[in-house]
Amino acid sequence: MRKGRVLFCIFLIAVATYAIRSALGWSFKTKLFPLSVSIPLLVLATIQLLQLIFGKGETDEGAGLDLDFSSDVPAEVARRRVINTFSWIIAFIVSVYLIGFPLTVPLFIFFYLKFQSEVSWLYTIAATAITWGFFYTLFQWLVHIQFESGAIQTWLGW
Amino acid sequence: MFDAFIDGLFLVLQWKAFSLMLVGMGLGFCVGLLPGIGGAATLALMIPFIFKMSPAEAFAFLLGMHSVAATTGDITSVLFGVPGEAISAATVVDGYPMAKKGEAGRALGAALMSSLLGALIGAVALALAIPIVRPLVLTFGSPELFMLSVIGISCITSLSGAGARGQIKGFAMGLLGLLVSTIGQERQSGSLRFDMGIMYLWEGLDFVPVLVGIFAIPEIIDLAVRGTSIAGEGPAQNLRSGVMEGIKDTFRHFWLVFRCSVIGVFVGIMPGAGGGVAQWMAYAHSVQSAKDSKDRERFGKGDVRGVLGPGAANNSKEGGELIPTVAFGVPGSGAMAILLSGFLIMGLVPGPDMLTKHLSITFSMVWTLAIANIITVLLCLTVLDQLAKITNVRGGWIIPFVLLLVFVGSYTANGQIADLIVTLIFGMISYFMVLFGWPRPPFVLGFVLGKVIETYLFISMSRYGFTWLKHPIVVLLIVLMVVVIVYPYIQQRRDRAAGSANA
Repeated sequence: MRKGRVLFCIFLIAVATYAIRSALGWSFKTKLFPLSVSIPLLVLATIQLLQLIFGKGETDEGAGLDLDFSSDVPAEVARRRVINTFSWIIAFIVSVYLIGFPLTVPLFIFFYLKFQSEVSWLYTIAATAITWGFFYTLFQWLVHIQFESGAIQTWLGW
Repeated sequence: MFDAFIDGLFLVLQWKAFSLMLVGMGLGFCVGLLPGIGGAATLALMIPFIFKMSPAEAFAFLLGMHSVAATTGDITSVLFGVPGEAISAATVVDGYPMAKKGEAGRALGAALMSSLLGALIGAVALALAIPIVRPLVLTFGSPELFMLSVIGISCITSLSGAGARGQIKGFAMGLLGLLVSTIGQERQSGSLRFDMGIMYLWEGLDFVPVLVGIFAIPEIIDLAVRGTSIAGEGPAQNLRSGVMEGIKDTFRHFWLVFRCSVIGVFVGIMPGAGGGVAQWMAYAHSVQSAKDSKDRERFGKGDVRGVLGPGAANNSKEGGELIPTVAFGVPGSGAMAILLSGFLIMGLVPGPDMLTKHLSITFSMVWTLAIANIITVLLCLTVLDQLAKITNVRGGWIIPFVLLLVFVGSYTANGQIADLIVTLIFGMISYFMVLFGWPRPPFVLGFVLGKVIETYLFISMSRYGFTWLKHPIVVLLIVLMVVVIVYPYIQQRRDRAAGSANA
């Protein structure tokens, strides 16, 4: 966890440094605000990093006014589930890129329910059909949202 | 003024606005019950759907949803000890022990009725504040509004964590949000900033993909990690008995409910404090109101007063939070920051215009808060038994539908796949923020207020040079900001001194 905290501080320092370096070449009006926020960000992130490295150490408590992740699940299982969920999200985006939104919706619901949640065939098929129907009725038929064609459809000239 | 008040009512009662309010309430109802999804996240999800609505319809939809989520959030807090919303956590302390004692119906009746009274008091406070706030707002120019926005971020950062480290993290996140808001074309000169040669970034980052990523993704991940039903294995109980008793309790302790509602309104007005603080202050006040130490011992073991206080404050703070949001454009919480983006989408600029030109829209918000809560409480009281079953749905069954909603919502911002990538990137950053204890509300506040703050700063500098720093109200606000920042340190030092004295 400590290594992760250090890496997050380094990420913030890198962002602030990039912002300062980029802003230095701009006109006064353009750079005034970005510099006014990125310089203190760099200072605060550096202080936090130094405290982490040389300080007394930090507790695992979350932020005061924010969500705290569940700590009931073993760390290894939690890590696996986090990677798993992010993989599903990335797969969703890749699928939207390849075959477009309207086709991704039923496929995603079907595969997630069947293979991730291990739901019965009946529920999976029913939920997929209802979701697809809802999606088509609301977003395509009523609201007329224009979804981009997928790369495969474009390549095939559909 | 009275005409605008009545016009506001008619705006809400128009069939389209009223229907949209009911739709919003239905969504808020479910969201409040589902612990995996927060009210702020749902507001962010619903923002894309307001583009084709009129302002009165959009606010009936959004506020109807938001105010109801705060009310129904108490239901899972009582039944399973799982807060339906982050702002319902204090209700767990006495509500869940009451449920374990077989008094779930009484606790729910008390929570719902105190929520209704709190919401009505909050709505009245909002209506009463409008004539008082109006002359004050009209004396505020760009320098004062700039300082107010800065104070808003200072308040939320100072409460984001305990001690110096908490403040450093809070301020860093606020600054990061401000920095992210500068991506894209600069308004005054038209120069591009941090565009990295990507055309998508020329217009800057849209509110929706960023907010949806920041709020929804970590909550979905948490739901997936837990791997259980969203509310755990809760007991099946008959809830109807005792509901009337809880309603009577609300009126037996009416003055406690009233005082806690006032606390909620005041905390709501303070930018950055929000419901998380209001509920605990109200709970603390309920405990302080105990007659003696023996009476005080009942709290935490299932005392109905411990449910009444937070329930009232949670809902009254909605009206309170709307006061600075509408009058100054300084949102009182993360949810209000998202609502503020709704104002901007509707082409409404919070500030003097909302208290003059668009006064009837402002009053329509008052009416929405009142009407939505009355309908919700009446509905809740009739279907309590069925409500509890929703929270036993397995997380794995819910996640794909929520993910779908997240990505459809973010895609509608610009209709580009880049919107989805932005959501993923900010979802990942947000996940690490939560994991390593970096608060998200200051980031959101910084991101939403960034463009407004830069504009106010630019106008102040162009018009007054550095002399705006000597304006009396600006000086007062700077002092206030210093107090806000320094106070947690003083409090920490005092606690340490008291602790060592006791030892």
